[in-house]
Amino acid sequence: MKLLLLIFLVQSVLQTIYLPASQGAVQPMDVRLIEQTCKQTPLYDVCVSILKSDSRSSKADVTGLALIMVDVLKAKATGTTNYIKTLLRGNLKGDVRRGLSSCADLYNTVLEADIPVAIEALQKGDPKFAEQAANDAGIEARSCESSFSGHSPLTESNKSVQDVSSVAAAIVR
Amino acid sequence: MAISSAWLVFCFLLLRHAVVELEASHHVYRNLQVSSSPSEHQPYRTSYHFQPPQNWINDPNGPMIYRGLYHLFYQYNPKGAVWGNIVWAHSTSTDLVNWTPHEPAIYPSQQSDINGCWSGSTTILPWGTPVILYTGIDPQDQQVQNLAIPKNLSDPYLREWVKSPKNPLMAPTSANQINASSFRDPTSAWLGPDGTWRVIIGSKRHTRGLAILYRSKDFIRWVKSQHPLHSAKDTGMWECPDFFPVLVNSELGVDTSIMGPDVKHVLKVSLDNTKHEYYTIGTYNLGKDNYVPDKGQVDSDSGLRYDYGKYYASKTFFDSAKNRRILLGWINESSSVNDDIKKGWSGVQAIPRILWLDTSGKQLVQWPIREIEKLRGHEVHLPKQVLEGGSALEVSGVTAVQADVEVSFGISELEKAEVLNPSWTNPQELCSKKGASVKGGLGPFGLLVLASKGLQEYTAVFFRIFKGHNKYVVLMCSDQSRSSLNNNNDKTNYGAFLDVDPSREKVSLRSLIDHSIVESFGGKGKACITARVYPTLAIDDKAHLHVFNNGTENVQFTLSAWSMKKARLDLESKL
Repeated sequence: MKLLLLIFLVQSVLQTIYLPASQGAVQPMDVRLIEQTCKQTPLYDVCVSILKSDSRSSKADVTGLALIMVDVLKAKATGTTNYIKTLLRGNLKGDVRRGLSSCADLYNTVLEADIPVAIEALQKGDPKFAEQAANDAGIEARSCESSFSGHSPLTESNKSVQDVSSVAAAIVR
Repeated sequence: MAISSAWLVFCFLLLRHAVVELEASHHVYRNLQVSSSPSEHQPYRTSYHFQPPQNWINDPNGPMIYRGLYHLFYQYNPKGAVWGNIVWAHSTSTDLVNWTPHEPAIYPSQQSDINGCWSGSTTILPWGTPVILYTGIDPQDQQVQNLAIPKNLSDPYLREWVKSPKNPLMAPTSANQINASSFRDPTSAWLGPDGTWRVIIGSKRHTRGLAILYRSKDFIRWVKSQHPLHSAKDTGMWECPDFFPVLVNSELGVDTSIMGPDVKHVLKVSLDNTKHEYYTIGTYNLGKDNYVPDKGQVDSDSGLRYDYGKYYASKTFFDSAKNRRILLGWINESSSVNDDIKKGWSGVQAIPRILWLDTSGKQLVQWPIREIEKLRGHEVHLPKQVLEGGSALEVSGVTAVQADVEVSFGISELEKAEVLNPSWTNPQELCSKKGASVKGGLGPFGLLVLASKGLQEYTAVFFRIFKGHNKYVVLMCSDQSRSSLNNNNDKTNYGAFLDVDPSREKVSLRSLIDHSIVESFGGKGKACITARVYPTLAIDDKAHLHVFNNGTENVQFTLSAWSMKKARLDLESKL
């Protein structure tokens, strides 16, 4: 009985020490910052779900959260670019191929211009350039969607990029 | 006084002999892969606005006149059409219209600017030597303030500059509590009668924008003042502050260090949050070293602006040759980044404007420098006539893409004006809701510029007159909503209330049209609106110009329009 009690006590102490510091979990203070920050964006749920599931959020200030969102934007744009490349290898109708080529060019702008400008502007402290760059990513995605006269094979991807773009631009602001 | 001056001279001699040639032979540039040869057809490049042959530009920097030659420096990316790798590009001019380009004057070469040479200003020292204070980005990505002086004062072009080995002269520290990513854009300094220089630098604390004040006796050692020159809550970061005196009751400008009863002071800031600038008019108190806006001045984003359209990072300087204060500003693109990369360039400088205090004392007035009129070529004049409600008249005989148009409207039936709803306090929103195609009572009337033949595309700059509370209210709009069939462009409308009484004076409009830019001046410069537009049809020789009246009531007008010649931006230097 005493042994059981001892084990129980030791276990409780160990849990008290270790539970709050579990790796990867977002802490209460950070959750507040994330929620406050995301409230100022047009897509609260998208914003919160992205930031809460990213372990880098736990140590980030607002600029850090912005950088995380820009990184997610980069990942989505990269994913879409790769998907476009895959599609272009297939047997496609002329207008679809033209639309995809146009999109490849637009997403190239996002990856080669918008993302690097946004990162540099955030790191060096001139947020308006980051805001404009993040915003522009959404414009390029929207332009890609309009490149298809008929059905667009990229609707989901383009929407996703536009959503993250509007959230990133709002966080920077 | 003599001792301070001697000390300053000593420091200069010391600097010039002790400075190591820090202009490294290899420039530290990031590799920004946005290179592709730009399109051949360039329908949007301007003909008489300042812009380099290609690439990205932003803020005008350190403008000045030295030995009769005007200098313009500007933020420039030598490697691409987006912001990055920023250096101070440099051009000179005898007339602010035609320019001679030079090699970049300031580029990363010291620890204190290795990650960027951002904006700054020139101060002309009492004996005529110009010095530059500018923001550098250091290895830790902190914003710091640096000093550069001309390497060779007998080079009239001042092509080379050397940096103080003591840089940075002002930096964020744990002691001064300055936010290292919110500390930039030093102004021209002003000299008090006590022999002390003062300069302000844009900053913020939480959401309060502020102008941090530093003082120095020798321009090398700067001491931060306990209090800012001025601040305003909830305005966010103050970029590109500008602080200068204006004469009461005169269109002439004065030196930046002038103070006293004959002048008021102006503080202008550019707001990072909203991308608008605003200014207030007030009093500089030398004793307390602070600035207090006059009663009634609005100290926020809702305040007075130099320009109610696309216009940012502006800066004035005193032109001692002609005793005028000149305003320069950066006009960025309203097109998508993809379009900018395709055309290979981004950003233009506004036409220089003179700036002075209105007779009311409550606002500033601007007007394009007279020198721009030497580019006026063939003139078309439409003498006083009636423009019926619901009609338009084409102005032929001038190059519609490259023109200077002045039109003046007279209204007789003022009682027919619509009543202004008291809730309509935001002119930009009002112009968005009531574009040129929305009929009115008195107005909309004005100009249709960069219009395609079938009017599928046009940019409308116009007025509407309303009956307000015991006076008439004139709304000026620049409507870009139908400016282009390309929907990747930002086609936001802009608006401003124009302080003109249509019962006592004509309502005038001047528009400088230059391919993809329309700079409009209402009421002889009481309200200015600049817009960027990218028509797909109304380009080159396919653009048209009309004067229109989409109101129900007639108006009278007279109009003069000139084709504008091209400015030379590539003049050879004489050395």
